[in-house]
Amino acid sequence: MTVLEARALTYAYPGEIPALSDLDLTIRRGRRLAILGPNGAGKTTLLLHLNGTLRPSSGRVVLDGAEMGYSRSDLAAWRRRVGLVLQDADDQLFAASVAEDVSFGPLNMGLTEAEARERVEQALAAMGIAALAERPPHMLSFGQKKRAAIAGAMAMRPDILLLDEPTAGLDQRGSVLLLAALAALEARGVTLAFTTHDVDLAFATADEVVLFDNGKALAQGPAETVLANRSLLEAAHLRMPFVLELGLKARKRGLIAPDAPLPRTREEIMALD
Amino acid sequence: MSPIDRAAQLNRWRHRSLTEKTVLTLGMLALTVTLPPYPAAAAVILVMTSAALLGARVPVRVWLACAVAPMGFLLVGAVSLLVQVDATGATLAPGGGMAAAKLALRSCAGVTCLLFLALTTPTSDLIGGLRRLGLPAEIAEIALLMYRFLFLLGDTAMTMNAAQAARLGHADAGRRMRSLGLLIGNLLPRALDRARRLEIGLAARGWNGGMRVLSNRAAVSVPGLALALLVEAAVAAMGLTLS
Repeated sequence: MTVLEARALTYAYPGEIPALSDLDLTIRRGRRLAILGPNGAGKTTLLLHLNGTLRPSSGRVVLDGAEMGYSRSDLAAWRRRVGLVLQDADDQLFAASVAEDVSFGPLNMGLTEAEARERVEQALAAMGIAALAERPPHMLSFGQKKRAAIAGAMAMRPDILLLDEPTAGLDQRGSVLLLAALAALEARGVTLAFTTHDVDLAFATADEVVLFDNGKALAQGPAETVLANRSLLEAAHLRMPFVLELGLKARKRGLIAPDAPLPRTREEIMALD
Repeated sequence: MSPIDRAAQLNRWRHRSLTEKTVLTLGMLALTVTLPPYPAAAAVILVMTSAALLGARVPVRVWLACAVAPMGFLLVGAVSLLVQVDATGATLAPGGGMAAAKLALRSCAGVTCLLFLALTTPTSDLIGGLRRLGLPAEIAEIALLMYRFLFLLGDTAMTMNAAQAARLGHADAGRRMRSLGLLIGNLLPRALDRARRLEIGLAARGWNGGMRVLSNRAAVSVPGLALALLVEAAVAAMGLTLS
């Protein structure tokens, strides 16, 4: 079921060529969406449209079938339902401690202190950083900051969470922890959409992929379909995920039944005999 | 992050209430200023240094590193009281030794008071306290944001500085000046850019102009407060009777 849609979005930063042109995109409930494209494709600009930060010069954003408006109250309602996590957590963490920072969103929603406190505790626990509640942001590691920023968005309990390059710059351990935390959010019914330029990450973790270049959506569909289309990938200056390429080869050789799903991760493909 | 900030965050008295810590600090500071320096100031030095090092367990190295600059400055200032200079030249000032010792004692006592507060209490707690005393919310918020982003700006400046040095930007005095100018010129747009992104992040969480957050304020411990007052009374009594 469609929850959030962008229809024919066009946008140009003042005095520049269009960053988005006639862009369509659909986020479906419970289907994790990867917005995949090279650097400078306009991915961040697109995310900023999906929570109403930027207003398109033409086109619209539709949430649950209703076109979104840009008045103060519309934006407030919009942002309650659609959370955003910026790429650089330092852009988002502003308060003196992690717990204070996470309480910012819930208090802005008009919750009581007791309710806000409960949400803060829950969000920190979900992100696995409950022990860091009293730390100031500048005493956190990069990965911890990232999870603190996500907790800040989560505490508002949005239906949809938009993440800008969630694993960029994270080491192996940090990525694993982050992906586990995201999976836990999904289990609670949050729909995720994230930008990335990493085809392997998109294939391993997303249900759907929208391929994106030069402000245009080249294709959207199930990850295994879009990411198997070489000419589309080439047009977006990307290449096929390694695991998918191996999987297709294995299927050709009869190691995988023609109708069986292809392995998504390194572990899954290594388990083939 | 600075060692002062780290000590303030990680010391054992981090979660003692701001009231207890300020009552101790300001009380002792008041005694230092009002009572004759010997023995009151000496007692203050003893109490405040032990409070910081033994009570709050601030690392000795950090305490010394923070103390050395102000105390050195004050001691040099006190030494100047030893001599007097007139038309005939420099001579030892009569009573100069006593005056210098008193000044040194008193000013060092003041420094130990401030060091105690600075090394046991995070800046954000202090700003929160001022806010409750009536500092306007806008000013408190700006102060907190400055405190938060100072570290980021500092990091950026250090990185840029290292990058300049790696390309021989500090090879001679002229180049050093030029590099410094470029660094400052680059920091401003970066800071503005960050401010813009901060605004986006805050807006995404429903920012409506106020920066309300839940703060975990430590409850005032009555025994703690009583102890602080008792120690102050003892220092005052001793200072008055023994001077």
